[in-house]
Amino acid sequence: MSDHGDGPEHMEEEQEPQQQRIRSTVVAGAGKKKGRGFHEPEREEGDGNARYEALEPAGGSGPAKSVEGWVLFVTGLHEEAQEEDVAEAFADYGDVKNVYLNLDRQTGYVKGYALIEYATEKEAREAIKGLDGSELLGQTIHIYWAFVRGTSKGPRRGR
Amino acid sequence: MADSQFYLRYYVGHTGKYGHEFLEFEFRPDGEMRYRNNSNYKNDTEIRKKAYVSQAVLDELKRIIEDAEIMKEDDNNWPMPDRVGKQELEIKMNGEHICFNTTKLGSVLQVQQSKDPDGLRIFYYLVQDLKCFVFSLISAHFKIQPIQK
Repeated sequence: MSDHGDGPEHMEEEQEPQQQRIRSTVVAGAGKKKGRGFHEPEREEGDGNARYEALEPAGGSGPAKSVEGWVLFVTGLHEEAQEEDVAEAFADYGDVKNVYLNLDRQTGYVKGYALIEYATEKEAREAIKGLDGSELLGQTIHIYWAFVRGTSKGPRRGR
Repeated sequence: MADSQFYLRYYVGHTGKYGHEFLEFEFRPDGEMRYRNNSNYKNDTEIRKKAYVSQAVLDELKRIIEDAEIMKEDDNNWPMPDRVGKQELEIKMNGEHICFNTTKLGSVLQVQQSKDPDGLRIFYYLVQDLKCFVFSLISAHFKIQPIQK
């Protein structure tokens, strides 16, 4: 890849080990199966040896930094919340770089979650402390980190 | 918890003038999110990204799927994948496992005229909500704007 190694946002590339698609590994012993997709042959472009770019190697715990800052995940938002309502609440804890507030494609109302980005980890941490469990438009909202330093071993505990 | 084995994969693609063009993303039980987007148009190269999302992100994803009630549907009467393209949605959750496929759906009119408009409508809107969810995550984390398909 041509972007390998240049700039501060240097991305780490990992060579994936020979890996079966999860479909064939996770499925064993699973409950009811339904759908035509199970009868399809696997596509040739399976994940096999695919190389995926990641910002940092997996491992460790706690939040993971995104390319330009720290991203929070907000849940419990009122269906009529506006971007300004959300941005305003989070502005008390720092300069909000980005707000992603998605709508339900069928109803046009807020889906209930949002992504909020701060430049620094400190601001993001303060926002979690200050806003998790608080009320916005009469509904209790919860704030979490969106990205974590995951491990590839089994499901993680907690949030 | 029984649902610790949550898994989701969505694929949409077709083979045409520019080869095999597709978008695929998946969420694995441990929170690993993988994203692939391949368009050969103007010699674009394939984009492959991965990141780990928190349990809260997975929980919200599960909520969206549960609210849609897609697990109750069946793809028996949906249009088959064809030359226009193929969509595939695989979800494993709460002891159930679905892997539905159908063609690319151009509009809600096509949904209404199908043999299973109610079920296909659920699929149609859920897929849009899922893409929206993933595009926001990818774009917030990597600062790239995924190609809308």
